[in-house]
Amino acid sequence: MDAVVPAIDRAPFEQFLIHEAALLDARRFRDWMMLFAEDGTYWVPAVPDQQSPLNQASLFYDDRELMKTRVDRLEHPRIHVQTPPSRTAHLVGNIVVEPSDANGEFAVGSTVIMVEYRDDTQRVFAGRQQHRLRRDGEGFRIVQKRVDLINCDGAFEAMAVPI
Amino acid sequence: MRNGHADQIARLIEPGRVHRSVYTDPDLFELELERIFSRAWLFVGHASQVPEPGDYITTELGRQPVIMCRHRDGSVQVLLNRCTHRGAKVVNERKGHASRLVCCYHGWAYDTDGRLVTVPVPEGCGEGFDKEAFGLARAPRVGEYRGFVFASLAAGGPSFEDHIGPMKGNIDDLVDRAPDGELALDAGMHRYVYNGNWKLQLENVLDSYHVPFGHASTVNKDGVQFARREGDSKGAAVIETKKKETAGSWRDRKSFIVGNGHGWTSNTTLDDGKRSSPAFDAYKRVLVDKVGAERANEILTPRLHNSLIYPNMSIMGLNIHVRVIKPIAVDRTEVTIYPIRLCGAPDAMNFGNIRLLNVTHSAASFVQTDDLESFVRAQKGLQSSLTDWVDISRGLGDEEPDRDLNATRGLATHEMVVRAQYKAWLGYMREAA
Ligand code: FES
Ligand SMILES: [Fe+2]
Repeated sequence: MDAVVPAIDRAPFEQFLIHEAALLDARRFRDWMMLFAEDGTYWVPAVPDQQSPLNQASLFYDDRELMKTRVDRLEHPRIHVQTPPSRTAHLVGNIVVEPSDANGEFAVGSTVIMVEYRDDTQRVFAGRQQHRLRRDGEGFRIVQKRVDLINCDGAFEAMAVPI
Repeated sequence: MRNGHADQIARLIEPGRVHRSVYTDPDLFELELERIFSRAWLFVGHASQVPEPGDYITTELGRQPVIMCRHRDGSVQVLLNRCTHRGAKVVNERKGHASRLVCCYHGWAYDTDGRLVTVPVPEGCGEGFDKEAFGLARAPRVGEYRGFVFASLAAGGPSFEDHIGPMKGNIDDLVDRAPDGELALDAGMHRYVYNGNWKLQLENVLDSYHVPFGHASTVNKDGVQFARREGDSKGAAVIETKKKETAGSWRDRKSFIVGNGHGWTSNTTLDDGKRSSPAFDAYKRVLVDKVGAERANEILTPRLHNSLIYPNMSIMGLNIHVRVIKPIAVDRTEVTIYPIRLCGAPDAMNFGNIRLLNVTHSAASFVQTDDLESFVRAQKGLQSSLTDWVDISRGLGDEEPDRDLNATRGLATHEMVVRAQYKAWLGYMREAA
């Protein structure tokens, strides 16, 4: 008899990712940061298939402490690169949930598209993102969020808001 | 400004001001490509980017595509990335490894020193066809100092020594921090573009005046910036919050010029002696082992903040990196920032530098992004034709000789360094090619 693999209900994960995207689109950056575990990291590599955030440059590689500095700055009245502020629309789809590992953490892959409008200019970011999620009561906390942009090694105009 | 007569050009620069067309006129930009970027000593890359024979990187000098590669004899070659047949760009990757450089169009193949080795269907070549005459063009002059490779696309002009000589000490300041006395630019890069003239980034590199305003968003309510250097517990004091003005350490900071458009700023006194972290302490031990305590102390005493090697690169001494400025159009510029690995330093120290450089100088960083915004706004503001002049007069006449350093000294919140850049600019621009 085949081992019974319990089907994972994708709905709570999908709901979580939609909630995260909504916080970013609403510029509720502090609440977004609170989705991360205390040991959580946010990583946007600067080359495809980047092996490590330590020995190579990255677009973003924030632990909670750096994230807080980033959020403080995003809330600062004189952040010139957000005057006027960006408006964004995130779309998250193609979600794949892998069963929890020994630590009880889930690996959730999804495709993200973010359209950003600021100061008369609209641009598009897109790529595949990987969330490592840990159960926390009824919800989840992000242990790691990694976003691999398709143009990660391209030259960017200034980016201020997280993907 | 199509013809660029010397006297016409000279009228654009006055002792304390620059005409706005220097930033906005597309014809002047074309002249700059011809008279500066096709002539001056330009930083191409670092030898550590091509460690093995056959390794290459590609880049542009001004608008001209070039290949920097390592030949079998160990030499670093700077070749024009343009097939001598019908002109296609030969190497299309940003970096890689190849024993032959093969053109995609008809398959002409070149050796890593540029010599043409294979022409498919050779019977089609005329009688006197001489492969020797069809090698990839080579940068007429190449110079290297401690791994930093520079090239000039002109056969004549000031020698490498004349141009780079006065800045060797600034390169040493960085390289000497590596326990092995060597750097590696092998930790990737940050790349960004902005809709503004290339000189806006150049002028900004040594500008200590803008920090409390331009970077207000990085300064906390106590007037202190976040820590930017491995081993620092906090960053520099930027604003005296009680008096609501620029902190003394920035007001007193000095800048220096040595001719050729080059210059540097001295460092702020970041909690000296107190710098400590497991990574930094381990690094310091390695350095002391290699060079002795006295020399290690000398090396670790911050002397330089930023150094500009005119016209296309800078070295930052604080959160260490090399920056390369590439003009694309009169109102568009690309900047590449390379983290630096100090060879022989513990991984944790190098990782700390890389991590903090993400924070200060990635395209999504806390520091550089506000600078980019200032450049973009400068370019927009300069479209106004009712105010023709850009003011660069701060500290005009206050410069003084620094005999110890064989340099001219001013306050870093003044604009002596910008005036020095325009003096060099005029030197190139007045002279027809
Ligand atoms: S253009 Fe290169 S081989 Fe013809
Ligand atoms: Fe700046």
